[in-house]
Amino acid sequence: MSIFTDKSWSPYAAGAVIGLLQIPTFLLMDTALGASSSFVTVAAHLASIVDPGVDKVKYLASHMWGAKNWWQVAVVAGIALGAFISMKLSGARRETISPIWVRAMGTSSLSARAPIAFFGGFVMLFGARIAGGCTSGHGISGMAQLSAGSTVEVAAMFTGGILTALLMRRS
Amino acid sequence: MSVLSGILIGLATGLVFGFALEKSRVFEPGVIVGQMQLKNFLMLKIFLAAVITGLVVLAVLNGMFGVKLSLKPLLWKADIIGGLVLGVGIAIAGACPGTSLAQVGAGYKDALFVVAGGIAGALFYGYNDAAITGWFAEKGDKIGFDQMLGLLFWSEALLFAAALAGFLVVLERATSWRNEIGTSFDGVPPVAPIPADDANAIRLSEAPR
Repeated sequence: MSIFTDKSWSPYAAGAVIGLLQIPTFLLMDTALGASSSFVTVAAHLASIVDPGVDKVKYLASHMWGAKNWWQVAVVAGIALGAFISMKLSGARRETISPIWVRAMGTSSLSARAPIAFFGGFVMLFGARIAGGCTSGHGISGMAQLSAGSTVEVAAMFTGGILTALLMRRS
Repeated sequence: MSVLSGILIGLATGLVFGFALEKSRVFEPGVIVGQMQLKNFLMLKIFLAAVITGLVVLAVLNGMFGVKLSLKPLLWKADIIGGLVLGVGIAIAGACPGTSLAQVGAGYKDALFVVAGGIAGALFYGYNDAAITGWFAEKGDKIGFDQMLGLLFWSEALLFAAALAGFLVVLERATSWRNEIGTSFDGVPPVAPIPADDANAIRLSEAPR
C-alpha cells in the first residue's frame, strides 16, 4: 500500500492515528499513553546491576515491576522499531546527525554533538520526571483528559523550549 | 494482566506510534527545534491533532462506556518547574522522550546519546525524588477543567476538541504543512517557501537519499 511507502503523511493524519492509540491503552492497560516513565524503569534496572539497594528507593522501586511499567518500555521500544520500519519502507535514509546540528556546530562530527545530546537528554528526562510526564503523558494524554495540571505543564514546556531555542538561534 | 501481555500490547502500540512519528517527520530534530524557534508548526499540528482525537475517543469511552480517566494531579511547582526544564532539554536534545527513540530507529546516531542521557537523568531524578518532592511540599488533586467548570467530561471534551480544530484550520491557512516539511523531509526549511504544487511534485518524485 502506498501510504506505507510514502515519505510523509500530513501531521493531521499522523496525529489522528496517535490519538486512536488511546483506545487500546485505556481499554486494555487502564492507563494513558506515556513515554518518560519507561526511562525510569530501564534506569532502575540498569542501576540494580551496580546498586543492589535500588529497590529500597521508593520512586525507583515503584517503576521496576509489573505489567504497566513493562508495557511502557515496550511502547518506547516499539516506537524505535516502528520508526525504523517506516524509514526502510520509504527509503528515507538519515545522516549520522540532523543537518540542523551540522549547521549550528559547523561540523558534522558525531563526537562534537554527542556530549550536547547526552546533556540534552539528561535535562529532558530530569524535567519530565519532576513534572511526572512528558509531551506524551502530560501533552497528548493529559490534555485529551482536560487535565488542569497537564495543561500547566505543557504551557511551561513550550515556554522553556521556545526560550531556549530562540537563545540558541541567536548564538 | 500478565507482564507478557503488557509487553505485547505495548510493542504493538509503539510500532504504530513510531511509524506515525516517522511518517509525519515530526521526530526530526529540525522539526522539533524549528517548532521551538517558531519557524515551523508541524509539532504543534500533530500534537493538537492527537489531542483532538484523544478528546473525542475519551468523550466516547468515558461518556458512553464509563471508562475511567487517568489524570495526573495538579502540582503547580512540579508542573511549572518540571515543564520548563523539560522544554529546555527538548530544545537542546532536539527531541522529547518518545521522539528520541524514533530518531534512534530512523538512524540518527546522536539520538543514542540523548537516550543514554535520558536514562541517566531519569535515574538521577529517581534517587532525588524524595528530596525534591519534599522541597516542593505540595499536594494536588487529579482535577480536570470539566470538574472546575461543573460540566460533564464528554461535553466539554467535544467543545474543546471543536475549538482546537478551529484553531488548526486557521493555523494551516497561515502556514501549510507541505511547506514546513522541508525539501528533504527533515524539517530543514528551504531558502524560499515552496508553492503547494511544487511541494507535491517534489514529494512524488523523491528518490532515496
